[in-house]
Amino acid sequence: MTKTWFVFILAAAAAASVSCARKADFDIAEIAPAEHLGEADIHGHSGEEAHGHDHGAAGETETGMHIHPAGSRNHGTQWFFNQPWAAPFVWGKMLRDTLVLAALSVTLAVSSSRRRSRRR
Amino acid sequence: MAASLPILVEELSKSYPSRMGLRRFPALKNLSFHLEAGEILGFLGPNGAGKTTTMKCLLGLLKPTSGGISVMGHRPGSSGARACLGYVPENPDYDDSLTPLELLRLLAAMRGFDSGERVLKALLARVGLAGWEQTRMKRFSKGMKQRAALAAALLGSPSLLIMDEPTGGLDPAARKEFRDIMLEENSRGASILLSSHILSEVETICSRAVILARGRLVREGSMSSLLSIEDTYRIRASCSGSLVEEDIPTGELQSRIDSLRASGCEIVEVARNYATLEEVFLAATGSDSG
Amino acid sequence: MRGIYYFAVMTLYSLFRRRTVWGVAILTALALAGIASIPAYGLSGGGRFTVDTGLTSIEIGSLVLAIALASGIFPRDRETRIAFPILAAPLSRTQYLLGRYMGTALVQTGFIAVWGAGLVAIIALKGYPMPSDMAGALLLLGVEGCFLLAVVFFFSFWTSPPLNAPLTILLFILSQMSVRDFTGLMPGAEGLMRILRLLLPHMDSFHIKDPVAHGFDVSPVYILLAALYGLAYTAFMLSLARSVLLSRDLR
Repeated sequence: MTKTWFVFILAAAAAASVSCARKADFDIAEIAPAEHLGEADIHGHSGEEAHGHDHGAAGETETGMHIHPAGSRNHGTQWFFNQPWAAPFVWGKMLRDTLVLAALSVTLAVSSSRRRSRRR
Repeated sequence: MAASLPILVEELSKSYPSRMGLRRFPALKNLSFHLEAGEILGFLGPNGAGKTTTMKCLLGLLKPTSGGISVMGHRPGSSGARACLGYVPENPDYDDSLTPLELLRLLAAMRGFDSGERVLKALLARVGLAGWEQTRMKRFSKGMKQRAALAAALLGSPSLLIMDEPTGGLDPAARKEFRDIMLEENSRGASILLSSHILSEVETICSRAVILARGRLVREGSMSSLLSIEDTYRIRASCSGSLVEEDIPTGELQSRIDSLRASGCEIVEVARNYATLEEVFLAATGSDSG
Repeated sequence: MRGIYYFAVMTLYSLFRRRTVWGVAILTALALAGIASIPAYGLSGGGRFTVDTGLTSIEIGSLVLAIALASGIFPRDRETRIAFPILAAPLSRTQYLLGRYMGTALVQTGFIAVWGAGLVAIIALKGYPMPSDMAGALLLLGVEGCFLLAVVFFFSFWTSPPLNAPLTILLFILSQMSVRDFTGLMPGAEGLMRILRLLLPHMDSFHIKDPVAHGFDVSPVYILLAALYGLAYTAFMLSLARSVLLSRDLR
């Protein structure tokens, strides 16, 4: 088991390092093309500010929705649903993570089965 | 040979890490024994001798540190081994929110047995739980839980039964019922590995026994060979109106009979000396301490 | 599959006959009644506050339920020795894990469905417009519930229940954080924090309560991808849990 864990952690760390170097794990704000940043900043507060204003105040759209700067977060949700340009980044990232996780699951399942059958 | 043996254990060792993980505590040391098809093997030893550890290795619940185990020709814990064995654990405890009938129905379904309700009720009646089929097991006494566990182990008529002190805590009548069921299963063709501290029970129903002490095998053999450890005969003779008893080594038996007759004694009885299993057990396990 | 299915049924029997589940059910009913009694406050209209609070409550309820259902299962099975005869004959360890998981996941998703139906009923009774992506939001909360359950199972194979709960809650909190917020926890070690964040799940993917509460359309592709991501992470956590269980001695 120790060996499996060691190999797994090593592989994960290596993948993480590579990913990190290429900024594979990102917030939308970090990869947003400059021209999109701030375009939706209707009521002009940044994502870092306290969110204590009245939702009925200025800055809401005609559907009654207030919009944050592109890539910033609102109540813990990445606020990209109204940013068409962000979809490929977000969807691509989710798809990539899904495939990596599925591959890791299969690898782990096979390796732990083999290890157990060898041990007995 | 190995494939035909229900259980084959070769040079089995198992050690546990201590609490801090710095040292390992050896529970089994190079243990080898086997169970032949159709026999009931007594698996004996004092507390802490390694009986339950061995059984858990056989069931695939524990990984051996070294050595080989074969259960019905398969690796312990493999589907092949699990398919043909029944297990009665020490202090059995199934989910007590279930009724015994629900337990058997679900276990049978898990194992793929097409057991109808009538068959399951008959099995419960066989182990003495008639009338308790629909009662949740949280209301059961220890003895009743043991009966339910025995019924669960007998599902599908397994060819190998591993029983870890199945009658501990039962009253004498219930012990007799359990013994009878074991003998019935054995006459059906099931091989049984029976661990028990009730030596009279082992002596009655087992054809062979292995005795463990401190993780090692200290004695093994057929019941008759184990009990006839003293190679002597007892002679009882009536000499001048008084009864004389003497233990004579086998080699001197004839000459001693002749001399007693020559001196006018009448030979009343000559019988081979047998030890009780308890004496054998105490001698075997005590000898290991030194 | 047969072994897993019937063990899941056995798990269901066991869970529904325990007080924990019914305690959570009563708390849920009280929470729903509380949400139903929240006035609109005239803040934003359209039941936005009710939808937001309701979905958040379901998410928190799902976390609590996952811990209540699963954190004690394996430790209890080991302590009471229920696991031994089950693993000795009818089931392999993988079947045991998946059976227990499926049984608890059915209870978990059943509860989330009931909570969701309760929320929908409240919105309907109050006459608020029904958000178009309500079903999607509830689906993702269901996926998140299954994922949380897998996390609790994973922890349960190598920790005690008192340690399982804080570990799960910690993971729940950290997994909601953006990369920027997470690296901000230790600004001096941004590289390390980025690696850690990459390894942690992105549970914020499952939360679409804001756009739903604001009546904003969420792409079905997003919902599908987020659900797939959640299921893949669940499979990964179960693989980890299985790996730990396979390597364990059951003393």
